[in-house]
Amino acid sequence: MSSPRDVLDALIAAHTDSRARAALEQACAEVAAGVSMTRFCSLFSMQSRSAGRGLLQPTDAERAAAQAALPGWEAELWTKLEAARVRLILARTDLAEESGRKAIDELFRFADQGELCALYRALAFLPGGERFAWQAAEGCRTNMLDVFTAVACDTPYPREHFDAVAWRQMVIKALFVGAPAWRIVGLDERLDEELARMALDLVEERRSAGREIQHELWLCLGKFGGDRALAALESELASQNIRGRRAAAYGLARAGAEKRLAELAETEPAGPVADAMRDALAGNSARTAFRALDPRLEN
Amino acid sequence: MRFFDPHIHVTSRTTDDLAAMAAAGVRAVIEPAFWLGQPRTQAGSFVDYFASLIGWERFRASQFGIAHYCAIGLNSKEANNEALAEEVLDFLPRFALKEGVVAIGEIGFDEITKAEEKAYRAQLAFAVENDMVVMVHSPHRDKKNGIRLSIDIAAEMGLPMEKLVIDHNNEETVRDVLDSGAWAAFTIYPHTKMGSARMCAVVEQYGPERIIVDSSADWGISDPLSVPKTAKLMLERGIPQEHVELTTWGNALDAYAQSGQIDVDALLEKPVIDQRELFGENSVLRGQEPRVDAPIPN
Repeated sequence: MSSPRDVLDALIAAHTDSRARAALEQACAEVAAGVSMTRFCSLFSMQSRSAGRGLLQPTDAERAAAQAALPGWEAELWTKLEAARVRLILARTDLAEESGRKAIDELFRFADQGELCALYRALAFLPGGERFAWQAAEGCRTNMLDVFTAVACDTPYPREHFDAVAWRQMVIKALFVGAPAWRIVGLDERLDEELARMALDLVEERRSAGREIQHELWLCLGKFGGDRALAALESELASQNIRGRRAAAYGLARAGAEKRLAELAETEPAGPVADAMRDALAGNSARTAFRALDPRLEN
Repeated sequence: MRFFDPHIHVTSRTTDDLAAMAAAGVRAVIEPAFWLGQPRTQAGSFVDYFASLIGWERFRASQFGIAHYCAIGLNSKEANNEALAEEVLDFLPRFALKEGVVAIGEIGFDEITKAEEKAYRAQLAFAVENDMVVMVHSPHRDKKNGIRLSIDIAAEMGLPMEKLVIDHNNEETVRDVLDSGAWAAFTIYPHTKMGSARMCAVVEQYGPERIIVDSSADWGISDPLSVPKTAKLMLERGIPQEHVELTTWGNALDAYAQSGQIDVDALLEKPVIDQRELFGENSVLRGQEPRVDAPIPN
C-alpha cells in the first residue's frame, strides 16, 4: 500500500506545474541532506514563490487514495502551497528524533498565517504525533478561521491526540467560528454526555438571544443528549429554519429516534426537509451527510 | 478612486479607522515595522510584534477588503540598544522572507549614531543579498544630512536606487532624493511635517514621477485618511487626475511590487468585503451580522 508521502508526491506531480515541482524537489533534496535551522525555515517560507496558487483539486480517486494511506486525511481543501510545505517537512530524515521536533517547533514559532495552516495539516503525517498535542490545542485558540479549520477539519490528528477537554472545546468552537464541523474527523465516534450537554446549553443561549441555532450543532449530540436533546430537536423541527430542520432530521436519526422520525416524515410535505428525513431513515446520518447542508458548497 | 497607503501602522488603529479607510477607497496598505512609542526590553517582544504584522493585522485588514502588506526591519531608535539589536538582527531573516513582506523597513537613522549605522548596514546587506526593496525612515532632526547619508550608504552597499524608498521627505530634501534615482515618499500629518496643501505644491513643482504619498498614521495624532484627503485636494487644485493616481496608487504599487510579493492581478480585481470570517467569540465582530459581498464603493 502507498504511504501518505507517496500519495502526497502523486498529488503534487498531478496538480502542479514543472517549475513548482523542480523547486520543491531541489528544496527537498537540500533538506534531506541536512540544513541549518535558518535555511530550513527559509525554504519553508519561500515555497510561496514557486508552489503556485489555489487548491490542488484532487480527483475522487486521489481523495480515496489519501484516505486509504492515512485514514481521515481529506485532501479536498488542500492548497498547492500547503502540499509543497508538508512535503518539504517530510523530507527531513530526523522527524522521529528530538532535532526533528525542534525544527517543527521552530517553524511554528515564526509562522505566518499560511504557514500555520500547512503546519497543522502536517501534524497527522508526523511520527510521534503526541509530541505536538499542546501545539495543536494552541492552534484551536486562534481567531483566524482558516488556521482553526486546518487544525480541526479533514485531519485525523485531533481524534487521535486531543484529550477530552481539548476535543470538546474544538467541536464547540467550530460552531462558534463557523468552521465546517462535518469535516471534523471523529465526530461520529467521539461523542459523549458532556459534549452533548455543552451543545444543548448553547441551544438555550442562542434561543435566549433570539438567534438561529447553528445547524451543525445537531451533529454533536449523538445518543448522549437524553430527553433534553430530543426536546431541542423537536423544537428545531417545528421551526421555520429549513437548513436547521434538515439537520435536526439527521440529528433525530443520530439519537436513535428513527421511530419518531418516521412519524414526522409521514406528515412532512415534499421538499428538502422530507428528503433529509428519508435519507436519514435510509441509514445515511453520518457526519458526511451534513456535506449536503454546507452553505459553502452551494452555488 | 482607489488608494494605496504604503506606510501606516495599522496595529495602532481601530476597526472604525479600517472601515473609514475602506469607504474612502484605500485598497492596500503597507505596515512597516517600527517602535511602539516606547522601547522594547527583550527580543521576544520583537518576535511577537513581527508575527502580528504577518498574521493578525493582515487578517484584520482583510476583513475590511484592504490588502495588508508589511515591511520587516529593526528601526533606528531601538538599534541603539546594541545587545538587543544583535538578537533581533539574528532572527530577522525568519520574518523577512515571508509571503507579503514587500520590503526591509522602516530602517535608517534617528540620532545618526554609530549603532544606528551598524544596524542599517546589516539590514541593507540582507536586502541586497535577497533582492529586496528597502524603506528608509528619515530622521526628524538633521533630516537633510540624514537623508544624504542614508542614500550614500545604500549605494555603497550595492542597493539599486530603484529599490530604495526614502520616506518622510519635505520641500528641502525631495531634490536630493529624486536626483539619486530613489523613490521619494511624503508623510501627510495633520499638524506637523507635511500637510496636504504643501504636498500639492510639491507635486505641482516636481511632477508625479517617483513621488509617493502616505499617512504614516500610528499611535500619535495622525490621520489614516491622509492619502484620500490629499488626493481630493490635489484634484481641487487642478493637478491632473493621472498625476494624482500615480502619487496615491501607481507609484507605490510599482515600487513595492518589485518585491514579487504583491499579487498585482488579485489586487486589481474589484474588492469585496466578506466578514463571515469575522464570526467568533473574540473576533472583531461582536454579535453583529457579518457583511458579505458588499462592494467597496470606489
